[in-house]
Amino acid sequence: MEALDCLRQFNMSSVLLRLTLAVLCGGLIGVNREHKRRPAGFRTYMLVCLGAALTMVLGQYQYLMFDTVWKSEQLSVGMTTDVTRFGAQVINGIGFLGTGTILITEQREVKGLTTAAGLWASACMGLAIGAGFYEGMLLGFLSIFLSIKVLPYIEGFLMARSRNMNLYVEFDALENMRDFIRLLKDRGIRIYDVEIDRRGDVRKQNAPSVVFYLHLPKHQSHTRLMTDLSYSPYVRTLDEI
Amino acid sequence: MLSSLNFLRQPDLLGMTVRVLLALVCGGAIGIERTGKRRPAGFRTHILICLGAAMTTATSQYLYLEMHYPISVSRMGAQVIAGVSFIGAGAIMMTKWQRVRGLTTAAGLWVVAIVGLCCGTAFYEGAIYATVLVLLAEVVFSKLEHRLLRDTKEFTVYAEYGKPSCLEEIMAKCHMLGVKIVDVEITRKSEENNHSCTVLALQSRRGVGREEILAELSEIEGVLTLVET
Repeated sequence: MEALDCLRQFNMSSVLLRLTLAVLCGGLIGVNREHKRRPAGFRTYMLVCLGAALTMVLGQYQYLMFDTVWKSEQLSVGMTTDVTRFGAQVINGIGFLGTGTILITEQREVKGLTTAAGLWASACMGLAIGAGFYEGMLLGFLSIFLSIKVLPYIEGFLMARSRNMNLYVEFDALENMRDFIRLLKDRGIRIYDVEIDRRGDVRKQNAPSVVFYLHLPKHQSHTRLMTDLSYSPYVRTLDEI
Repeated sequence: MLSSLNFLRQPDLLGMTVRVLLALVCGGAIGIERTGKRRPAGFRTHILICLGAAMTTATSQYLYLEMHYPISVSRMGAQVIAGVSFIGAGAIMMTKWQRVRGLTTAAGLWVVAIVGLCCGTAFYEGAIYATVLVLLAEVVFSKLEHRLLRDTKEFTVYAEYGKPSCLEEIMAKCHMLGVKIVDVEITRKSEENNHSCTVLALQSRRGVGREEILAELSEIEGVLTLVET
């Protein structure tokens, strides 16, 4: 217990420990993401976590200097320092960095949000590590790790059973859409909303594209439906988004 | 902190020179590793950012300790942290294949800026140790990387086949092997003779290897091409 109290203080050994812990925690989360071939891997998480921890350590270092070496100046000028000022900007900065990872695909699908959120969360964990808030680090690490490791299974389970489905379809000609809609209706599928892009992409010989927002009947497998629809002669591209 | 270094922490000419030189060395050390990998932000970018960041904290220390202005010494430096992430975000791009590149470069620039702040504040221990950690992790990880990517359970397959029923067979086979289909995209090639192609995102769940799955799938009659992307 005394050793832990010593590490909560600001001294050489606690700085070294905090920075090392930041690298380890960030790295462990990153390895998991790297395994899934996501854009932010081991290095990115590690760097972000280390940087965040370093800002907090830096703030505390400045405070320590005001208390010791620069004590006389501090007494004469009267201004002191805010330990959290550096760290506060991390929350802002990494949020901006994360926006760079969010992209909208050609199929009008939003990707990269989880990466951005994960980076941001591990930056915040880095702040806790840098502050020497070891319990916060442990809780933060466990909850981020579990969210990344376990929740995808639950999410996949829910997604596969979801009765809502978004379908991106490219047609040879827009007139074929009527037949496609009839095909959907025959299977008891309700259509919530339809978004039509009449122009299409020039590179793809002006194939008009449509996004359907569907409500499926009970016990309808998504992949099964995709396979069946691919038999339709009017469809050029089919993608669930 | 090491009190023996205190004479270098003064805001005099010697102390300031040490701050700037250390920023140069730390920025250069992290940058040189990136240059070796031919990444967009190289040696000079890292050094410039590190120096600039060091200047902000050094300047506020000068104003406070020498000129005795009643300022908050961390205000200017704090803006660097947010500011450099804007530069970093410019380095992030998306390739045509919907892959995000440059994220690590952006994070690297960001860390270098914070190391620069530490140098400018004369927090030499922190700056040096952080630089060492970054370099160490690079060395350790480049050895680990290959093994990690080999064991990956999720991969994407591009398949071309002659008749639409092939897709059903592929799916049945995947089901048999315990491979979960995460995502499907089906495209029909209009000019050519009724060939279709799909991009399948697969996830192996029963420990069946990637090569084995690819071999099993390419055995299906009617499958013309099968490549991992």
